[in-house]
Amino acid sequence: MDNAQKRILMAKTGLDGHWRGPTIVARALRDAGFEVIMIGMANTDDIVSSAIDEDVDLVGLNVGGHIDVAIRAIEGVQKARPELPIFAGGTIPPHAAKQLAALGVEVYPPGSQLTDIVDAAERLTGRA
Amino acid sequence: METTPIMTQNTSDKPVTCTSGIELKPYYTAADIPEQHRPNVDVAPGEGPYHRGFHPSGYRSKPWRIFQLSGFGKPEDENERIKFLLKNGETGFIMEHDRNTADHCYNVNHPDVVARREDVGLTGAVMQSVRDTAICMDGLPVDTSFGHAGGAVVQHAPFALAAYWTVAKQRGFDLSTISGTGQSDFNLTYLGCVTKEQIPTQAGLRFNADIMEFCNQHLPRWVPVSIAGYNAADTGLTPDQELGVLFANAVEYLDEIKRRGNMSLVEAARGCGGVSFRASIHIIEEACKMRAARLMWNQLLRERYDINDPKVGNLRIHCVTAGSKMTYQQPLNNIVRGTVMALGAILGGVQSLGVSGYDEALSIPSEHAHQMSVRIQQILQEETGIADVTDPLGGSFYVETLTAQLVEKAWTFFEAIQQQGGYLAALDSGWLHAQAGENQYQEFMKTESGEQKIIGVNCFKDDESPFQVDGFMGTDDAFDVATERLNDVLRTRHEQGAARALKQLEADCRTDKNIMPAMMEALAAEVTLGEIGDVYREIFGNWNTPIQT
Amino acid sequence: MREHTTQALLAAAMAGERFSLARLLSLIERHPHVEAEVREALASHQPQAVVIGVTGPPGAGKSTLISVLLSHSTARFGKTAVLAVDPSSPFSGGALLGDRVRMQSHGVGGAVFIRSMASRGENGGLARTTATAIQVLDACGWPLIILETLGIGQVELDVMDLATVVTVVLNPGWGDTFQANKAGLTEAGDVFVINKADKAGTEQTRADLQDSLSLLQSPVPINIFETVAVKQEGVETLWRGIERYLEACNSLGLTAHKMAARRNRLLLRLVLRNLEAQLQAYWRSAQGTQYVQRVLAGELTLEELQADLCAHLCHQKAPETEHTS
Repeated sequence: MDNAQKRILMAKTGLDGHWRGPTIVARALRDAGFEVIMIGMANTDDIVSSAIDEDVDLVGLNVGGHIDVAIRAIEGVQKARPELPIFAGGTIPPHAAKQLAALGVEVYPPGSQLTDIVDAAERLTGRA
Repeated sequence: METTPIMTQNTSDKPVTCTSGIELKPYYTAADIPEQHRPNVDVAPGEGPYHRGFHPSGYRSKPWRIFQLSGFGKPEDENERIKFLLKNGETGFIMEHDRNTADHCYNVNHPDVVARREDVGLTGAVMQSVRDTAICMDGLPVDTSFGHAGGAVVQHAPFALAAYWTVAKQRGFDLSTISGTGQSDFNLTYLGCVTKEQIPTQAGLRFNADIMEFCNQHLPRWVPVSIAGYNAADTGLTPDQELGVLFANAVEYLDEIKRRGNMSLVEAARGCGGVSFRASIHIIEEACKMRAARLMWNQLLRERYDINDPKVGNLRIHCVTAGSKMTYQQPLNNIVRGTVMALGAILGGVQSLGVSGYDEALSIPSEHAHQMSVRIQQILQEETGIADVTDPLGGSFYVETLTAQLVEKAWTFFEAIQQQGGYLAALDSGWLHAQAGENQYQEFMKTESGEQKIIGVNCFKDDESPFQVDGFMGTDDAFDVATERLNDVLRTRHEQGAARALKQLEADCRTDKNIMPAMMEALAAEVTLGEIGDVYREIFGNWNTPIQT
Repeated sequence: MREHTTQALLAAAMAGERFSLARLLSLIERHPHVEAEVREALASHQPQAVVIGVTGPPGAGKSTLISVLLSHSTARFGKTAVLAVDPSSPFSGGALLGDRVRMQSHGVGGAVFIRSMASRGENGGLARTTATAIQVLDACGWPLIILETLGIGQVELDVMDLATVVTVVLNPGWGDTFQANKAGLTEAGDVFVINKADKAGTEQTRADLQDSLSLLQSPVPINIFETVAVKQEGVETLWRGIERYLEACNSLGLTAHKMAARRNRLLLRLVLRNLEAQLQAYWRSAQGTQYVQRVLAGELTLEELQADLCAHLCHQKAPETEHTS
């Protein structure tokens, strides 16, 4: 178990402006002691360059549209930093959730417990 | 024999409140009705203060409109889905535009859109020029039905409206006789669904006043803008706050029209009188909210604008059931939720209703989910007798008390917004977002802790619903076809005419001329959405968002 | 992933490996011994980077402004690093480093490097390791570093110690809300910006600022600029103003002077920090606790306590039993 400060990158892959969900999750993660770097609606390049330059310990993606868009971002991050864990939330229908799981991405659809998301963050960043 | 009331299972002393925070008694009597409201109780619908509605015969003379949000893919796909819904019994139609392009006024070749090409067409059809709109409107009953032209987002509305009207004109319809509605929704654009780039709120107000003035002159039967509470509510504002914010929004429009002096306030108020609310799941409170709204509108017109004409005070309410209440887990349960929320709206006497699809938390509606939304309304209309009596809840001790209490609380919130400098100021500063954010957090915590049970989500869960429902992902050729069509338009249109029209639009944007005439010319000249968006960005700049998005 | 030694990581970072730089910054933040090692390795490195501090109250539009400045700064300097410091929550130790939303990236491996830092308990508006981070970026060939911090008043102005030029970003009507803290910000700034200048109150704010600034002695004129960052208005003029300020400082030899003064203040701060850590350790030790109790009981004087503390610090020896009688 590792007590160091952990940093989480949060980004939205779609161009949809809903901010309820991501804000609540970011706040919960902050309250759990994480440093949350929010880059908002971001292209694959933005997400990858932030994952590198900010040297985060975990990437959280809010997915709102077609899964292919998110997959490009995921593949970009995995190529640049293969060891970096990724988890995702948002409007992700079952077939898309399966595709993400196949890529090693944990999925938290609407209705997921915040405690589960925070626990996941702790586990994935090696704090738990 | 002594009869004592049987206590409910609520054994704790904890007070029970409705969503607006008003404490609910276990039961109500006549004595509970606030004194100032008692004289209002035994009036007829059609009599002041109009909380009971404007027409004594209610749904007997005019059933509520079955009005479903629809759209995806190429314009022809959307056309097909609208026709499907009309065939299945909806009585108005909504032409939703693709959000990736429309919300931002980008063409499909914008890098941010290209980067998300599979999302194009997911939540509405791509319409970049009047040609696309013409395809979307092919064979639609523009003159006999009630069409929503799209343009939910403020900066997009002038384009969407002008496109619809231009096509209607080209088809030989008389604009002065067609009815329908725009939206141009501040709560969506600036509160609930903040886009990456958007014109500032002041510019948005200018656009909406321009639309109102243009309709007043050329489309008297068209509802120019629809002030909407849905996104205020779905972003976290409580029913009383939803009421307060909606009327604060209305005040900005009316004050602007008054300031300009080009149009009578009476006409403006009539134009603003088509509003929309969210219909959420605490159905008695929601029904009370609609009753409160009618009362408040008339009070506002009377006290603030000295308008006493009851025709003007006729608040026509469209309702959409709360999408955020639809669960991802066990989606078929949402059919019940949709039905119950629809019932609340109907008990509240709304004029128009859209029921969210049972697959709302997964995607845009599949054909089946869409049909189900229509069936729910049809069953309610035809089989339940609910439409036989106007304001059936009227006179209930509980309902009259709660209606009056909501009115009071809503005005308090309205005043708080005025303290902030008004609705636009409260948006610019992030004050409204802060209110909404705090509420959402509280609401979320209640679900998280289990205090608020959501069936299938935090109780009675199952790993895999036996009735598999997956997301509907639209079509997959929307982007490619849109790209082709964009190139086509740019290549084959009369370039000089388009350039001239765009220049005129730009010039009018820079002054305080009404932009709609130039917008109509631009659409007719086949100017594209992205070119118009570029003009906006150049002239108006970008709204400084007060929150993280 | 193979563990790199600090030296190897630093060498890779200085050779231009982006992720090595990012990782090094993380390790510096996390491990004081790594920070110490890096400072030692870079002790002889001559600082060359220009540091533009950007500070001001929350909501002033610093991030948006920086985002627009980046196109000018990269045109002039080639590359720009942005270090953005936000406060950590005193309750949870976490932080929302959110304004990155407004800063458009410039692509993977691009000319702009954006790094967020949480203050992690520090009070001056900076993180403990911000100075070292700047030193590292400088050594890795970043010619310009924009340091964004939250600055409301006298407490959060450590940015002065690290920046060649401090840009204070305010909004119209600023004077009304932050009366008590005005003095701090007006003393700290080299360049002032009234952002959102299209809002009411700009003229008054300019006049207020002008008044406050006229009381200060400055060898280089301090100018006030007006911008509307979201419309990119006035930003080029501001950039030229910053460039002119830098040139003026250079020609007057002030840059070297400022940097020397800066290094002096930094050194003092480092020494103070180390001393404080040692003092805290003494205070908690058996010997220290004893001494403090005796002072509180009136058996020893404060001077005697201080003498013991000094002896302890000089000798760094374990507590002697002869001191406890």
